[in-house]
Amino acid sequence: MKVKVLSIPVQDQEKALKFYTEILGFIKKVDVPLSEENRWLTVVNKEEQDGTEILLEPSPNHFEPAKTYQKALFDAGIPYTQFNVQNTQQEYDRLENLGVKFSVKPTEMGTVKIAVFNDTCGNNIQIVEML
Amino acid sequence: MTFYQKEINRIKEICYSNEGQIQTVIGTRNYIENNFDKELNLDLLSHIRFTSKFHLLRLFKKYYGQTPRQYLINKRIEKSKDYLKMGMSISETCYSVGFESPSSFSTLFKGKIGQTPTDFQKEQFSQSQFKTDS
Repeated sequence: MKVKVLSIPVQDQEKALKFYTEILGFIKKVDVPLSEENRWLTVVNKEEQDGTEILLEPSPNHFEPAKTYQKALFDAGIPYTQFNVQNTQQEYDRLENLGVKFSVKPTEMGTVKIAVFNDTCGNNIQIVEML
Repeated sequence: MTFYQKEINRIKEICYSNEGQIQTVIGTRNYIENNFDKELNLDLLSHIRFTSKFHLLRLFKKYYGQTPRQYLINKRIEKSKDYLKMGMSISETCYSVGFESPSSFSTLFKGKIGQTPTDFQKEQFSQSQFKTDS
């Protein structure tokens, strides 16, 4: 079995696509209409386009436990997932200038430096740099 | 303060309070990152950090969950994938990332990636051909 997809629950797929591409810098890979207004929508790192795809999944809109779980994580400040970056401080500066809100500013945690921001779609996302 | 912020503080206190140890392993990891293609061993790495090799081995495993040698091999294999994708030959790739024997490189590569370097390279080229055609 291979790991090809990472699913992130989002409350609005179009808003999520905009944030994950225009702000975070991913590119759209797959966009297939499904039932009603839902899409199988994935983005990837532009330098690793055959790598792991992020599935922007509208589960909070259709499955109450997913909505409850997402809200509980968010309220506790817990990141839904994390992405690796070259330099957490630089990425923090860049994203803050684009209006992204951080709940955890760049913080050293032993051998890594982390920061946590709001993806505007119901999640906290952590970025991490290996020191 | 959120639950997560409290957890960060708690974990920092428990796991990351020894700054000296942390700097030692970070320095070792960065040295491996910048010199992975050269001949490296625990004697050299511990000498650079002014520590005993057994202490370094224990610390590195404590903070990274693997030995310096495992980290080095993983780094070399990851870099070798980049070289193979660029079209470098198997033996050239082997020597460029610091391995000394193409046969042991191939065995290690297959163990980590699940395919031989040759098969990996063929697959990369056929995938890029498919993209070009479409």
